[in-house]
Amino acid sequence: QRFRFCGDLDCPDWVLAEISTLAKISSVKLKLICAQVLRDLLGEPMEYEKILKLTSDAKLESGDVKATIAVLGFILSSAAKHNVDSESLSSELQQLGLPKEHASGLCRSYEEKQSSLQDSLRACSLRLSQLGLVRWRVDYTLSSSELQEVNEPLVHLTFNVQNRECGRTTAVSMTLSADKFRVLLAELKQAQTLMNTLL
Amino acid sequence: MLLVLSADHRAHLGCLPRAGGAAVGELGRLALEQLRRGAAPRACEAAARKLNIDVDTIQHGVEGLTYLLTESSKLMISEIDFQDSIHVLGFSDELNKSLLQLYLDNRKEIRTILGELAPRLPSYHSLEWRLDVQLASRSLRQQIKPAVTMKLHLNQNEDQTAQVLQTDPATLLHLIQQLEQALGEMKTNHCRRIVRNMK
Repeated sequence: QRFRFCGDLDCPDWVLAEISTLAKISSVKLKLICAQVLRDLLGEPMEYEKILKLTSDAKLESGDVKATIAVLGFILSSAAKHNVDSESLSSELQQLGLPKEHASGLCRSYEEKQSSLQDSLRACSLRLSQLGLVRWRVDYTLSSSELQEVNEPLVHLTFNVQNRECGRTTAVSMTLSADKFRVLLAELKQAQTLMNTLL
Repeated sequence: MLLVLSADHRAHLGCLPRAGGAAVGELGRLALEQLRRGAAPRACEAAARKLNIDVDTIQHGVEGLTYLLTESSKLMISEIDFQDSIHVLGFSDELNKSLLQLYLDNRKEIRTILGELAPRLPSYHSLEWRLDVQLASRSLRQQIKPAVTMKLHLNQNEDQTAQVLQTDPATLLHLIQQLEQALGEMKTNHCRRIVRNMK
């Protein structure tokens, strides 16, 4: 059976197995655990001790607590990935055997944070490099060893390129004459016009 | 298959009968800790003080036990072979029995540790991907060129490397087809026969 929140594929076996563990926790506590898992997915620190306290009533072992966090993380991030609205998510979770109150609590937490979740996922999508700072300086060459009167302007450009995987910034420097700089600027303006037609 | 113990090895293990029964247990524990975590000179010094034997003898005894256990576990020798191999050391029956028990209790764990020492090729860790469409370039406007950019994360002995690859959809489909063919090979009669015989 196909599920939208799994990307129109079958639901993974481990998720099916953990649904019954989720049902052991009360629906109110599940909503609070969801809030913590959402904090972790959004890059904020997750308070693991709070989750341990919330699951202590259901008498879950430490392996079950970790499985609960994992399955909630999967459901929430996968639903955001495939842009599933909260009502479809609720009905699909109920089809998998999650009780109605649990599903609606989970989906209400999901709905509040859906767009922030999608923004955060968009930001960590694959990206090879990123432009940081651009620095420039305009000089005027008066004279050189080759020619006594040069009298030409010169542009120094430095691009700070951030490498996503190691977080290092490389500085790429170049010097351009006025004509070359005009060509560069014209080409970049053309690219900008094209980008603006897509926005 | 019998273990052949060198003269040095026998000399190192020679301290065991002098140390007494309780000491053998202590030395056995030190030997296992050395296998799990590496040499611990301070623990040997503490044991030397407690058992009233000098540090070097303790150190040699622990190393001798470690080597005896790893060689026996590596070759997976049977109980009788182990008993015959240590018989040449001329220890008391009680000592032989405790050594045999030490070997049998920890054989499986030692084999797991030894298994992790084999050299490894880079293995798959994760794959990030992105689907782009090139609309225009400096030389040509009004294009539609889809491309899939992938970042393959590999793991080699706790070293993480990443490889960036790019492909067009046709090559990607070919890649998927080849990988599915490779998976399909497992279902042929030839592979099934071999797998059955290995079990």
